[in-house]
Amino acid sequence: MSALARFRRSPEGVIGLALLTVLALAALLAPLLFPGDPLRIAGPPLLTPFTDPALPLGTDRLGRNVLAGLVHGARASLIVGLAAALVAVAIGSLVGTLAGFAGGLVDEALMRVVDAFQIVPGFLLALAFVSVLQPTLPVVVTAIALGAWTGPARLARAEVLSIRERDYVAAARIIGMHPLEIALREILPNALPPVLALSAVIVAGAILTEAALSFLGLGDPNIVTWGSMIAEGRAVLRSAPYLSIVPGIALVLTVIGTYLLGEGLAAMLSRRERQA
Amino acid sequence: MNRALRLIGRRAISSIPVLLIVVIGTFFLLELASGDAVDAYLVSIGGGDAALIEHLRQSYGLDQSALTRLWIYVSSLARLDLGWSVAFNRPIAGLILERLPNTLYLMGSATALAFVFGTALGILAGARPGSLGDRLLSIGSLALYAVPSFWLGLVLSVVFAVQLRWLPTSGIETIASGKQGLERALDIIRHLVLPVSALAMIYLALFLRLMRAGMAEIWRLDFVRAARAKGLTRARIVLRHVARNALLPVITMLGLQAASMLGGSVVIESVFAIPGFGRLAQEAVSARDAPLLMGIIVVSAVLVIVVNMLIDLVYAVLDPRVGASEAAS
Amino acid sequence: MTSLSRRSLLQGVGVLLASTALPAFSFAQALPTGGRLVVAADSEPRNLNPAIVASNGVFFVASKVIEPLAEADFEAEGGLVPRLAIAWEGSDDGLSATFKLRQGVTWHDGQPFTAADVAFSALEVWKPLQNLGRIVFANLESVDTPDDYTAVFNFSKPTPFQLLRNALPVVTSVLPRHLYEGTNIAENPANTQLVGTGPFRFAEYKPGEYYRLARNETYWGEGLPHLDEIIYRVLPDRAAAAGALEAEEIQLAAFSAVPLADLARIAQVPGIEVISRGYEGLTYQLVVEINHRRQELSNLEVRRAIAHAIDKQYVVDTIFLGYATAATGIVPHNAPEFYNPEVPQYEFDIAKANALLDAAGYPRGDNGIRFSLKLLPAPYFNETRQFGDYLRQALAEIGIDAQLVNNDSAAHQKAVYTDHDFDLAVAPPVFRGDPAISTTILIRSGTPAGVSFSNQGGYESAELDSLIDRAAETVDTEERTQLYNELQVRAGEQLPLINVAEWGFITVARDTVLNVGNNPRWAVSNWADTAVQQ
Repeated sequence: MSALARFRRSPEGVIGLALLTVLALAALLAPLLFPGDPLRIAGPPLLTPFTDPALPLGTDRLGRNVLAGLVHGARASLIVGLAAALVAVAIGSLVGTLAGFAGGLVDEALMRVVDAFQIVPGFLLALAFVSVLQPTLPVVVTAIALGAWTGPARLARAEVLSIRERDYVAAARIIGMHPLEIALREILPNALPPVLALSAVIVAGAILTEAALSFLGLGDPNIVTWGSMIAEGRAVLRSAPYLSIVPGIALVLTVIGTYLLGEGLAAMLSRRERQA
Repeated sequence: MNRALRLIGRRAISSIPVLLIVVIGTFFLLELASGDAVDAYLVSIGGGDAALIEHLRQSYGLDQSALTRLWIYVSSLARLDLGWSVAFNRPIAGLILERLPNTLYLMGSATALAFVFGTALGILAGARPGSLGDRLLSIGSLALYAVPSFWLGLVLSVVFAVQLRWLPTSGIETIASGKQGLERALDIIRHLVLPVSALAMIYLALFLRLMRAGMAEIWRLDFVRAARAKGLTRARIVLRHVARNALLPVITMLGLQAASMLGGSVVIESVFAIPGFGRLAQEAVSARDAPLLMGIIVVSAVLVIVVNMLIDLVYAVLDPRVGASEAAS
Repeated sequence: MTSLSRRSLLQGVGVLLASTALPAFSFAQALPTGGRLVVAADSEPRNLNPAIVASNGVFFVASKVIEPLAEADFEAEGGLVPRLAIAWEGSDDGLSATFKLRQGVTWHDGQPFTAADVAFSALEVWKPLQNLGRIVFANLESVDTPDDYTAVFNFSKPTPFQLLRNALPVVTSVLPRHLYEGTNIAENPANTQLVGTGPFRFAEYKPGEYYRLARNETYWGEGLPHLDEIIYRVLPDRAAAAGALEAEEIQLAAFSAVPLADLARIAQVPGIEVISRGYEGLTYQLVVEINHRRQELSNLEVRRAIAHAIDKQYVVDTIFLGYATAATGIVPHNAPEFYNPEVPQYEFDIAKANALLDAAGYPRGDNGIRFSLKLLPAPYFNETRQFGDYLRQALAEIGIDAQLVNNDSAAHQKAVYTDHDFDLAVAPPVFRGDPAISTTILIRSGTPAGVSFSNQGGYESAELDSLIDRAAETVDTEERTQLYNELQVRAGEQLPLINVAEWGFITVARDTVLNVGNNPRWAVSNWADTAVQQ
């Protein structure tokens, strides 16, 4: 059975993929659907949804188009999630692979650093990091990644340790490949799939963390994210609940979609492992 | 048991360098900060002139070099002295001791609830993998997980505290009520219901999914097939064999989640005005109170280490092989 | 626009007269005594001593415990009513001021209050340590105490009595000498465990939870205070106060702790009142600070273009939801003594703004952008941040690309007032009754870097500086006022900064709380006559 067929047989994965496809489309088409700055003032403030066809989801406190914000927010939220996961996985796999492959003192030292990051509450770290360096998109992404890279690092290290003694790696060593080359060419690609499955969880977590940071007033003010929309809408939670519910639903669906997709991937990969 | 204690001793020693990394990292993070404790203070007093600013920097010791300050901090920490908070003008140890219990109540009850209900529902879901009930529980829990906790908190507060008035909107206990003993305990519990629920929902989903996934793995194993072949009832197989074996990784997760729970309480404490650890951290950051933030992070790190040690102990009791193999290695 | 804001001001005055005339007299006997008032507090100042930290956050709690020499009032002559002083007079040469003090007042620890306390506070605390006292009492040389109830302030240079009088409620909180003398004043434990002469004693502080003030049984005011207890409940989350009010866990939220956007809804809740009076003496100004070191912004035409690009009416209507007035200049409408309406105005006119920028030599590039700016809104209020969002959009309309920088308080303080790492900033300075302790510091050049809420934009004008310096030493009230009138005109022409709006805060209270907002600094006054219907 091909990997694709296995994936298709997991309903979670399919639902997740469908949700994320819609989202990705919205994110990609955002500049076409709503050209210009989504933070532009587009109409009267606090316009109720479904009253003006030009502004189908109404406007916020300053008169900004909620639908435009939602679509552009998809872009920002996806970028935050993916970028944070990418950075976390990149750092994590690098450190993990290095530690697992080098062993000895290097391993010990690197794993102590991993421990250090793991025992510090990730959100606390992100909070301190963002308030201390200004809240711009790259800083927010880095802050989230700092709290998330230890998972991939441990996973990568464990994978490396388990693969290290396998035949093809031993063979590579015998034919005289440089240890680093072995790490990059043989071990990393093999250790990657489970790390990728984990990264779906990281993406979901990153989107939620960004929302929580925005809630505490630590978002990038130049872009619109769902987190910032919810945070803005909170002041009028009672009189204009749609302002926080609409982006809230988008957020929930995205997190669910990402998580389900991750499960689909995990199912697909774990079955392949079993067969191997 | 002896082995387990030795294991704990080793863990404690090996955590010292980890803590050192944490302290130094936090220190330099705050060194990168734009604005220091004096800047933060000036905002709160509505400004001051150059001489006042100079005087404040001196009295806070901020005119010394970063390395000197780090050395002073680390050496006092070695004497178990957490130092002095410039933001609160009080010893940090006292501040932390005052706030820690509130966060421990919050986290402790949220974790306990999430663990109990999460694993129970996880067993329910995992009893018949792929069934409709399983799928519903799975998606439902995921939806809970996906709702931002602060939003859930706000909505719970509006519905149950403001509109129905069943519970208080915020705080840890009724202010200046003079309640004592059992009455006070009940009062605190009433105040904790909403924040604990908001926090527990998220982790409930996590434990549910872990339990379910663990059970799904175990269903495939040979001994379960054997048990089935023996004709044991399904309930007995589920509880005695499958759930029991799936529980161990969930307990491990409990330790791993300790740190993330401490972080998650920051937002909830802010929404529900609970004077806890997370809010203290937030105040420390905004006041640029480096010693306080370091104190908080060190104490939370120690807390996480202790929780993990406890879990190791539980593990050792539940599964003697674990302690043995690790201690022997 | 001018006429409109004047009309709204007049309406404001009408409401004010109608609302204050009643409670002061007719209910004086009928007010209930006793009870507890629970109010929301959004911050916990680390130094609660109002003699050192003269800021509204501190006064909100401390003014009930530690009293000034006089307090602002709607009706009294000169706008002041006696507190610890019963009469005051300045000499014609501006070199001395005499205060007659109240007799029979005791500190909360039982010691008698005398002129020695005032002399000590003035010389050892207000002048050297207090953020505003440093300006007002800069030339204070000595304080004579011919008897226990007279204090004569002697100045080395003329100090306008107009300034002293206007500053009395803010800068003259009197401390007990017997607890402070010979100690390190800045570190004295009484800075958090306050001891004063006010209607309430400082009873208890639980960090993160509440402050509790208890009735001072030996207060000098007859039959005062009405309340037994005031509790400040710490609610850091902005959305929390509204919920707590509705759930009747608190009875009052001052300083717009209930967000403006929620007011229309909460006003409909039975038993809850939205009160906008009581902040007339605490006017906040919404100001765009300009970094004149930036070459484009040092060009007057560019500054004028920016002024034309701001729709003040939108700011008032949408950001402040009508709870503000469009500004006409550097002195707010609420300071009738100084306010000069005849200053240059910059009406909202995008075309004109664009034309000015074209003429100034900043044409739009291919992407429609003339130049880029860094815009730092102060993080202290929702409204300053929202105005930052708006200003970015308003500037985009005239081809200026503004990048918002979202700092927390400490970082904002450092970036703007120390490092000058900004092009435009949004600030909410407070007008404290006299330009010399509010407005001029935003314009006068020569303030060293690091001084917050001051001119750190590098603006230098010999003309404006000389006006400010002359006014600072002009004793004659009329002449001094004239100088400030001229300063307003010159500042309107030169635009060292752009004033956008002026606002007071909003109090939301249960209707059981009586005498709310009955003086111009109500939230930071002593609440001796505040009562709660049981």
